[in-house]
Amino acid sequence: MILLTNFSIKKFRVFFLVIISLSGCQGTNHHAISVTDNSPVVTKKLLTAALPFTNLSGTPAPLEDIRHLLINSFKQQGLNIVDEEVVERFLTRHRIRYLGGINRATARDLKWETGADAVLITSVELYKEELPPRMALTCRLVSTGNSPEILWMDGIGLAGDDSIGLLELSLIEDFQILQNKAVRILSASLRRYLLGESYWRGSQRAIIKFWPKMFYRSPVFEPGMKYTVAVVPFLNLSEKKFAGEIMALQFIRQMKAHENFVLVEPGLVRQALLQMRIIMDGGISMIDADSLFSRLHVDLVLAGEVFNYQDKQGTTGTPKVEFSALLIERKSREVVWNCRSYHEGDDGVFFFDWGQIETAYRMASEMVLSALETMIE
Amino acid sequence: MIRLECILKIERFVLFLLFASFVACGPRVVPTNFHDPEMDFAALRTVAVMPFENLTRDQLAGERVRDTFFNSLLSTGAVYVLPSGEVARGVARAGIVNPAAPSMEEVVKLADFIKVDALITGVVQEYAEVRSGSASANVVSVSTQMIELQTRKVVWAASTSKGGITIWDRLFGSGGRPMNDVTRAAVDDLIDKLFH
Repeated sequence: MILLTNFSIKKFRVFFLVIISLSGCQGTNHHAISVTDNSPVVTKKLLTAALPFTNLSGTPAPLEDIRHLLINSFKQQGLNIVDEEVVERFLTRHRIRYLGGINRATARDLKWETGADAVLITSVELYKEELPPRMALTCRLVSTGNSPEILWMDGIGLAGDDSIGLLELSLIEDFQILQNKAVRILSASLRRYLLGESYWRGSQRAIIKFWPKMFYRSPVFEPGMKYTVAVVPFLNLSEKKFAGEIMALQFIRQMKAHENFVLVEPGLVRQALLQMRIIMDGGISMIDADSLFSRLHVDLVLAGEVFNYQDKQGTTGTPKVEFSALLIERKSREVVWNCRSYHEGDDGVFFFDWGQIETAYRMASEMVLSALETMIE
Repeated sequence: MIRLECILKIERFVLFLLFASFVACGPRVVPTNFHDPEMDFAALRTVAVMPFENLTRDQLAGERVRDTFFNSLLSTGAVYVLPSGEVARGVARAGIVNPAAPSMEEVVKLADFIKVDALITGVVQEYAEVRSGSASANVVSVSTQMIELQTRKVVWAASTSKGGITIWDRLFGSGGRPMNDVTRAAVDDLIDKLFH
């Protein structure tokens, strides 16, 4: 009897300790996120409102299908998603048509009305079902409330013939398989973010391969310092629709991965440009840059031009990307960094298409990564 | 002894004739560079690169060459180059009809809106692929000039042509260097001419 009582007491103690430790893990606010000095680290599940996807591919794409697939996958990674109907009602009530970013008022209202901690903004940059299939997606999580901030951002560009392997055994012919692969990679990246791990993917080999053809960095610019940056859409001189927006997103994504830069949500930049009626026909002027400095409280404004953004045509040819970018600094009111980069998918390829890049998205991504190395090295 | 001297003289004369004939066969060297001898180029601090006039079929040739020129000139670190957007704003405010070839009155007006020491204008004469038999290659021809705003004088002018079919292209039938590389070579040549 005594033994039984002792056993019960031990069991009770263990149970009590488990309860205490579990309750200790719980935060005071169910949806709270803790933001460190460098990057926000999620300690709890985020309640997220997923906005309808934006199509930057220039071709018709089944955005709803991709959205459902991605959201289901993100749910499995621990992201709480606000009901689709609730988001739809919110968008209708506020007459929101632009879905490529979020402004301050929308972020605040979204927080108040739906309780969402973050908003998921996704754009489809490439969609091609025909053989070989191709797809490119960019996703970002932006915090809601009075000061929207990019929490996580990643993107992926895939082609069925990225790595065909021996006797084309690794060739992906089914678009669904490719789509699932893209979603899987993005979900893994999100999961790493939610766990507080680094989600950045980049290789030193790609940095060397796609090194910009020319660049300049002023002594005024100090690479070690922390800067707040606003990226404005690039002037698009290419034949590809939305190439300016795609390049701007590439820069935001890659700069976000560096701890030296705090990126302003593109929706806030767009709102500032609209409110100040800034139209940049021939590129950014100092007056435009000054307006953005004062409105957005940023140290740097990044702008540029896209001359070529061309994907592979069918099974022949190679993707081509050509752009130039410049960075204007607030105090000196000068261009403190600029670069010009142009590459083709088969650059540095000598044997059996080994190492060839099949999508302009992936190439642009690696070119931007190399360009940033010249900025911060 | 006298005979030997005669032979040596004849040899020298023949050598001179050969040298003279080789020189006569060579092309006439026309200078493609002008520097105002009175201009102190070291005094230049800020310049603006105006949109280049495009005389080619490629619609983006002017903008591509200008952008390459802007990047290359800024990369030298010798002068500060105004961003193209700032120049575009100045051009719009000054009401310049043809920014590629502004008149002196327009230059004066522009000086009120953009604070620069000099303007650089340019013309892209050739930006295309040339063919000869089975061989092909890219060729770029550009000419530029610098107008100093204080004196309103052309203080520098230069032209260059790069690319074209080489013996290598003829022998091995390669398509020549990429257009962007040829453009860069042409712009580098112009900048070399500016600073030397």
